Amino acid sequence: MNILKMLGFILVLLTAWNGNASGSTSSNSSTNNSASTENNNQEQKTVSAEVKGPHGGVLLKDGETSLELDIFERGVPPEYRAWINYQGEAITPSSQQQAVLEVRLTRLGDTVDSFTFTYKEEAYQGDANNGGYWLGDGVVEEPHSFYVEVSLKIADSTHHWVWESYEGRVAIKADIAEQAGIGTALAGPGRIQRTLTAYGNLVSGSENLSHIRARFPGQITRVNVNVGDRVKRGQVLAQVESSESLKRYSIFAPIDGIVTQRHANTGELALEQPLFSITNLANAWAELKIFPQQRATVKTGQVVSVKAAGSEQTSTIEQIIPTDSGPYLLARAPLTNVDGSNSNTNPWYPGQLVEAQIVVEEVDVPLVVNKRALQSFRDWTVVFIQIGENYEIRPLELGRSDKTHVEVLSGLNAGDSYVVENSYLIKADIEKSGASHDH
Amino acid sequence: MIESILRFSIERRWLVLSFILVLLGAGVWSYQHLPIDAVPDITNVQVQVNTEAPGYSPLESEQRITYPVETALAGLPNLAYTRSISRYGLSQVTVVFEEGTDIYFARNLINERLGAIKSTLPTGLEPEMGPIATGLGEIFMYTLEALPGATQADGEAYDATALREIQDWIIKPQLALVPGVIEINTIGGYTKQYHVTPSPQLMLTYGVTLGDISEALRDNNSNRGAGYIERNGRQLLVRSPGQLQSLTDIEHVVIKTIDDTPVTIADVAEVAIGKELRTGAATRDGRETVLGTAMMLVGENSREVSRAVATKLESVRDSLPEGIKVDTVYDRTTLVDKAIGTVQKNLIEGALLVVFVLFLLLGNFRAALITAAVIPLAMLATVSGMVQTGVSANLMSLGALDFGLIVDGAVIIVENAIRRLAEAQGRNGDSSGKLALKERLEVVFQATNEVIRPSLFGVIIITVVYIPLFSLTGVEGKMFHPMAATVVMALLSALVLSLTVVPAAVAAFMSGKVREQESPLIVASKSLYKPLLILAMKLRWLVLSAAVSLVLLSGWLATTLGSEFIPNLNEGDIALHAMRIPGTGLEQAVAMQSLLEQRIKEFPQVEKVFAKIGTPEVATDPMPPNVADNFVMLKPRSQWPDPSQTQDEFVRELEAAVKLLPGNNYEFTQPIQMRFNELISGVRTDLGIKVFGDDLEQLLKSAEAILAVLETIDGAADGKVEQVTGLPMLSITPERMTLARYGLSVSALQDTVAAAIGGEPSGLIFEGDRRFELVVRLPETLRRDVASLGDLPIPLPNGGYVPLSEVAIIELAPAPNQISRENGKRRVVVTANVRGRDLGSFIADVKARINQDIKLPPGYWLDYGGTFEQLESASQRLSIVVPITLAIILGLLIMAFNSIKDAGIIFTGVPLALTGGVIALWLRDMPLSISAGVGFIALSGVAVLNGLVMLAFIRDLWLERGDLYLSIIDGAMIRLRPVLMTALVASLGFVPMALNTGTGAEVQRPLATVVIGGIVSSTLLTLFVLPILYRMAHGREIKR
Repeated sequence: MNILKMLGFILVLLTAWNGNASGSTSSNSSTNNSASTENNNQEQKTVSAEVKGPHGGVLLKDGETSLELDIFERGVPPEYRAWINYQGEAITPSSQQQAVLEVRLTRLGDTVDSFTFTYKEEAYQGDANNGGYWLGDGVVEEPHSFYVEVSLKIADSTHHWVWESYEGRVAIKADIAEQAGIGTALAGPGRIQRTLTAYGNLVSGSENLSHIRARFPGQITRVNVNVGDRVKRGQVLAQVESSESLKRYSIFAPIDGIVTQRHANTGELALEQPLFSITNLANAWAELKIFPQQRATVKTGQVVSVKAAGSEQTSTIEQIIPTDSGPYLLARAPLTNVDGSNSNTNPWYPGQLVEAQIVVEEVDVPLVVNKRALQSFRDWTVVFIQIGENYEIRPLELGRSDKTHVEVLSGLNAGDSYVVENSYLIKADIEKSGASHDH
Repeated sequence: MIESILRFSIERRWLVLSFILVLLGAGVWSYQHLPIDAVPDITNVQVQVNTEAPGYSPLESEQRITYPVETALAGLPNLAYTRSISRYGLSQVTVVFEEGTDIYFARNLINERLGAIKSTLPTGLEPEMGPIATGLGEIFMYTLEALPGATQADGEAYDATALREIQDWIIKPQLALVPGVIEINTIGGYTKQYHVTPSPQLMLTYGVTLGDISEALRDNNSNRGAGYIERNGRQLLVRSPGQLQSLTDIEHVVIKTIDDTPVTIADVAEVAIGKELRTGAATRDGRETVLGTAMMLVGENSREVSRAVATKLESVRDSLPEGIKVDTVYDRTTLVDKAIGTVQKNLIEGALLVVFVLFLLLGNFRAALITAAVIPLAMLATVSGMVQTGVSANLMSLGALDFGLIVDGAVIIVENAIRRLAEAQGRNGDSSGKLALKERLEVVFQATNEVIRPSLFGVIIITVVYIPLFSLTGVEGKMFHPMAATVVMALLSALVLSLTVVPAAVAAFMSGKVREQESPLIVASKSLYKPLLILAMKLRWLVLSAAVSLVLLSGWLATTLGSEFIPNLNEGDIALHAMRIPGTGLEQAVAMQSLLEQRIKEFPQVEKVFAKIGTPEVATDPMPPNVADNFVMLKPRSQWPDPSQTQDEFVRELEAAVKLLPGNNYEFTQPIQMRFNELISGVRTDLGIKVFGDDLEQLLKSAEAILAVLETIDGAADGKVEQVTGLPMLSITPERMTLARYGLSVSALQDTVAAAIGGEPSGLIFEGDRRFELVVRLPETLRRDVASLGDLPIPLPNGGYVPLSEVAIIELAPAPNQISRENGKRRVVVTANVRGRDLGSFIADVKARINQDIKLPPGYWLDYGGTFEQLESASQRLSIVVPITLAIILGLLIMAFNSIKDAGIIFTGVPLALTGGVIALWLRDMPLSISAGVGFIALSGVAVLNGLVMLAFIRDLWLERGDLYLSIIDGAMIRLRPVLMTALVASLGFVPMALNTGTGAEVQRPLATVVIGGIVSSTLLTLFVLPILYRMAHGREIKR
């Protein structure tokens, strides 16, 4: 072993000795190599996107041809701009050599965007020494994550370059994804139901409350009901002997309800005072406080779900009225006690505080995603779509949302499989190269 | 002076020998008091000041806590610098003192200053100093788990809260009492809390606010003593117990009365045992657990303390409830035992080899024994010295000891004494060949005196060459000072021994017939050496040019070797940071961690894997929840599927496997190393550019601009801006006008929000000694519902409510995840490494470019740091110290010979001695490292020593006889045996180390390799080149 090393060492010495002599031959061979690529124009070149051109784009070179390709997005939607050079000269349509440039972008899921280029005379904002550039037809959609194929036809030969330009993409093996609990769903149409929580009190409707007085002053001769008695409309509550006519007349219950107050006993005088109060408990109104910030969203006719002490009832907002007790409006929604029988077990009674979910918006939209799928990525809100073992960001433009779902305006197609469960893991994996531990 | 000491030692030999007993006693006592650890402690003198600030965001904790604390600590005596981080719920100021500052003194000073500012901090926040421990402090870790089927007293299965309660109230109090333990730090599980979770609707119904509930709880939860009454001669103590005892008690607390009807807690809230908002979690083998860490007091003996902790834990087990398992997951004893085992094995094997060689070459058992006796004696003396100077025994300090070098002096003396005794016996012995006592003593004296000077000088020179090691500072200094100190102590004690005990022992014990019987080995080598030497003298130009070209060759070889500044001590276990993106929640991190641990556990090499996520109870290492410290404990190598697999290979395999798991980034290291890194902190890349200033945005902008410039500079690699942003934060900004309209103040709003989401501590519930917090906060379902946070009702002072969205703007925005400060100013660091370019010119380039291209706003400034500073200062210091050392050696040589020429001859031998070392390194594929450097140092010492003895002898002969050539040949022949002996003992002594693969081998291997290789070349040099040089140098003198 060591002897071998010794031999190796001697060899190293010898090569060092011969270093100068072999130097010239190797430089010869390298020129030969470059010449051969020039001859073979159909050869595809995989380039690294590291080499930057004077305009800040990717610089592609092949023999005497050079091409700089840039995605320009300052002040405009992202577009391709290109600068072509042949034999040291900038190529424009007026040049001797005609150039045809085509860029094909293959995105995840094998969708292909093709761009052809036309020349545009305009001063490039930079240190460009020619006044124009080749402009690709169309917007380069986000994310800029694709396999790029460039072909440039110039002077009877075609140059090809290909490279990978991925961003926000990550591959996770299926078994690991399953183990990690990454779950997907298909994007599709859905219903957005936006709600607002409001609190308020239950009140009796004025139609449900009756304070009963005697028509003519007189002596009460008989009282039929007591506090807590249930009465029917038209039921005789008491009899009064009019002081003027000395005739006895009956006092009837004007509404169904329960006697909540009685200020009448046999022998007393019925004067101006109310003798009975009857409240109908079959119905109640929820008066919900709507604060200024919420005013714009709450309208009459909206469905509201009212909750109190374990009961829940759905109703609609019938009126919105101002009040002088605070800087809010009252949205009124009627509630019915189920049996309507004024039993004291019924859930809705005046004075109670209730919590209400007002459905301020309910629409069917063509494309929704689960809110759990949303993650932030740079300045975007994104979901991660899954194709096979690849996951990639899809920056979304979002519309209306409710507690669980959000409407997608653009950025995603119906039927796309996107990550719902543990979507944070994908984000974490894409961004992890930046994760560090500085003490 | 030397002569009188020698005479005294020989005359009073029994007295001198009896001193051995004293030495034995001192050595044994010292050994028992020697602090033993695996690696040297490289932590600086630092004190952490931690302030827990529940609910404080990074910005608030910086403004309200970190700044006042830092300001208070500025200007402390011996202060080196302060740095701080402000994170969610924590402010940590690390105060670093100058080396050598007494830690207790420093803590006293800090304590005093902290006392003075207590009133300026927000109420309820208490800055606390971290435990008095160093990077070696985390010596013992254990986890808790419940066996399947185990149930608590109430029939429930044990959950993370219950386990934490056991740790906090049963295990921790007992372990904390173990001597040498300064802290038991807990991470994982949940601290038990009593939670009162009111429903917003019910609160509105009853007109009760969160504040009312807290107040009611506070007012109805105390015991009072009320003095005593003396009655009928008896003393009656009076007390009114009113503490809340149970959940039911809490439910019955009355908040207020409405029309004489009491409203109790139960009317508006649920009461239950709940979980704290924790900052850290622990996992083991993929499951959540509770992890306890015993921290050792600085300066204790880690092996003893961790043993004591283990023993105590054994007895604690008896006091645990049925079905609870406590498992030791990390025990420093294992590592220390392994490391010490390695050192012991090396030393014992080395010593045996030395004894064997001595016996073989001296051919005299007694003489060999006397020489070998120097080994244990020198060792004991060294141990005493280590205890006195506070050097701990570890891989580094014991790693460079070579018994071959230690016995060198003794070998030379004993060898000469035997030779002379044998000669004398042959000349004037009586019939049995024995000498008269007086004559024997005289012969021993003469023999010793003849060689003592050169060997004294030699040993002193070896000692001197270690001086450059003492000039290292910082981490390198802390690693290598103990090594240099130990070696120097060992050499000095060997020196003293060879001056006193060795001659005394020779005089005392070599009384019999000394057979001048050269071993066949020596005879053979002598018969080989003589013709070769004569041949070499003839072909001197060839030999010399061969030597010179060998030197040149190895010089070139040295430049091709890789280099490594500080050796990496293999701890035998793996630690890895698993990093997730900032803002990752604790529960999410635990889920990701569990996946990671399951994967790691699949490796058959792994015995257990556990991790700490986030910050433990005592924030000794304040990590955010997105970082986990993983410990991977490996099985003994014999249980591996492939026992020959190296740890590096396994780490690579592991890394490849865990890389597939989504969302984690890794950094591989080792447990102790990780702890050191955490404590020393600072910039660990080649270059760190610190931007200081006020505004975080501006700092970040400038830092990014600097990075952009940096990346265009040739040689820059791994450029990075410190991550300071990226913590998603939900800001609830009060709208002052609207608030005023509703008659609310900002603080009323903030109080409600803080209580609703963070919780409002409202007292303690006592269960015996155990005490638990009583907290009021919203039910979990509501707290987590960010979307409906705006609907949260804020109670109004006059009754009624207003939704939160009405009076505040709620928005989600990224915020600083951590604010780092240094020396009292905010800073952001840009780091980079240098590839393929020398550091010096790179740094100069960077400075020039940044000066030219970066314009900082007023009030902002830059500071350059990084390892380049250490390298620069180290090379600066070495460039002064090394020449001085060389000058001292030369001076010593001149003193020894009174001749610059002879000194020069010996001195020129040093480079040739080094060639062997370089070639040996190259053959074994090892990089140049400080360890190897220590080897070279030892080597130059040996080369000088050999040359010294050889030349001294030749010169004496020449003076005696007058014939240069013959004197050289004869002198060289006489010195062959001692030269071979010293060479053999020195190199064989290192053989076990060179071949060692155990724990700690990485430090010793390069050193031993260099010495062995170098001794071969140095021996050749001494035997062939030196005589030639001497003849050439002095040949002309004769002619003239």
